[in-house]
Amino acid sequence: MRRHDLSHRTIGPNGVSKDFDAVTFPDSTLDRLMTIPDSSASTTTTGTIPSNLAGHAANPEVDPCDVAEAAMPDLVFGDLAPTDEEWVRDHTIICNYCANVLSSLEHVCSSLDECADAAEQRPASRRPASSLCLGVPEARYGFMETPVGDVLIATSEDGVVEVSYLDNTDTYDSLRDLERRGYLVYQRQNHIRPVIDQLSEYFAHERRHFDLPVDLGGVSEFTRSVLTATNQIPYGNVRTYGDVAGEIGKPRASRAVGNALGRNPIPVIIPCHRVILSSGAMGWYTGGPEIKRALLGIEGIHYGVRQRAAQQSLGIER
Amino acid sequence: MALPMDDPSHDTSVPITRRTSEPVENSGNGLFTSMIERFGDEIYRFACQLAGNGTDADDLYQETLLKAFRAFDRLAADANHRAWLYKICSNTFISDRRKHGRVAPMNDELAETLTASSPDPASALDARDLLREVERFVDALPPKQRVALVLRKHHEYGYADIAGILNSSEAAARANVHEALMKLRGAFAHRMEV
Repeated sequence: MRRHDLSHRTIGPNGVSKDFDAVTFPDSTLDRLMTIPDSSASTTTTGTIPSNLAGHAANPEVDPCDVAEAAMPDLVFGDLAPTDEEWVRDHTIICNYCANVLSSLEHVCSSLDECADAAEQRPASRRPASSLCLGVPEARYGFMETPVGDVLIATSEDGVVEVSYLDNTDTYDSLRDLERRGYLVYQRQNHIRPVIDQLSEYFAHERRHFDLPVDLGGVSEFTRSVLTATNQIPYGNVRTYGDVAGEIGKPRASRAVGNALGRNPIPVIIPCHRVILSSGAMGWYTGGPEIKRALLGIEGIHYGVRQRAAQQSLGIER
Repeated sequence: MALPMDDPSHDTSVPITRRTSEPVENSGNGLFTSMIERFGDEIYRFACQLAGNGTDADDLYQETLLKAFRAFDRLAADANHRAWLYKICSNTFISDRRKHGRVAPMNDELAETLTASSPDPASALDARDLLREVERFVDALPPKQRVALVLRKHHEYGYADIAGILNSSEAAARANVHEALMKLRGAFAHRMEV
């Protein structure tokens, strides 16, 4: 009995069978990958699974063994309809050749299973850590309730990386920002305890200086210099945006300083709330003016709700 | 001084609205880290099945993660993260194999070697050797056939999904799987028939 001919088999230039590339799309790029369809929407494989095998085999121009053999991989994967599977099984009872093909196919499948089992026992728990694979640090985050609202806090091996006000930022956005800064994010409430402790003391007027290293990874150099200068402003004092600009040697960059402070990833701990307008007005704040007012209030600098604080009463150090 | 700040006289006109804070367990959706937490083991298993020995598999997995990390921002929010990772891993494996020249012709040589090595079924290798030979043979399959076979056999992917991962038609996906299986059968039938 002749062997089944794989009619869709393609032959490469050197006469070697090759992958079935004929109907594939051009080289895939990552852009192509973006458009992958949701597989759950297209799980049916019936489009290419043969059906009505008995009908096909009854055609006098067709060798029933060809029909049976072509359907056998589908049979061993359980893709055939019950009636078709039954037909193939019945055929193998009367055809010794096809019985052998099916039996060896089933053996091949069980060998593949055994290979897979063996392979699985090897690496089961050896998956390399993502941070090692990517060469990026991990940030552990958790949550805290404060008098100025809920905050998300994240720390790395090197220090505090993030404090965000959840009243005006989604948790997801904060975490995704951290990933964009190059951190992998894991929720580990116990890792942020020291930060919570010191923040609690600050809000209770029991702490005037944070004894916490900060990690400004993924922050631009300019913003970093602004934040570093801002970090030097003592508790209960204020500076103007122009002061900070002068501090970093760019006296005309007060607008850029304002923008950089708006991107402060670690508010409260890096005290961008201590930077105000040269008019003495409070100015803008990431978490909203209410929070800036509250933080300054904790430190003894009081702004009324609508009133422009009198610059003179603040004793701004120029 | 013109700074990008609110006029303080309007302070109270900017209400502080509390946006719904998502429950913590849902906040991970759409994060790269969460995606890897969820599918990393499965993809690592896949990489091991494709690349075989430990360090090759680790390299393939690492390469997959790196590509995914760099491209994550461009991924549509409603994309299928699992299939996307399989796709990156498959394509990385296939293009690696193409670049490093382990090609189809080895199949025929190997098949001949295998047939020649045990002309007498009575002297068939023991079960462990047979598995090793099957592994070697699978390793020498054209990479696309191998990917298709592994996906169909061990990850319960249907041909439509395999086609999506290989950028091929459903018929080509099925043909790749069938070809791989039939080659294996051809190479080992004489040792497996009872």
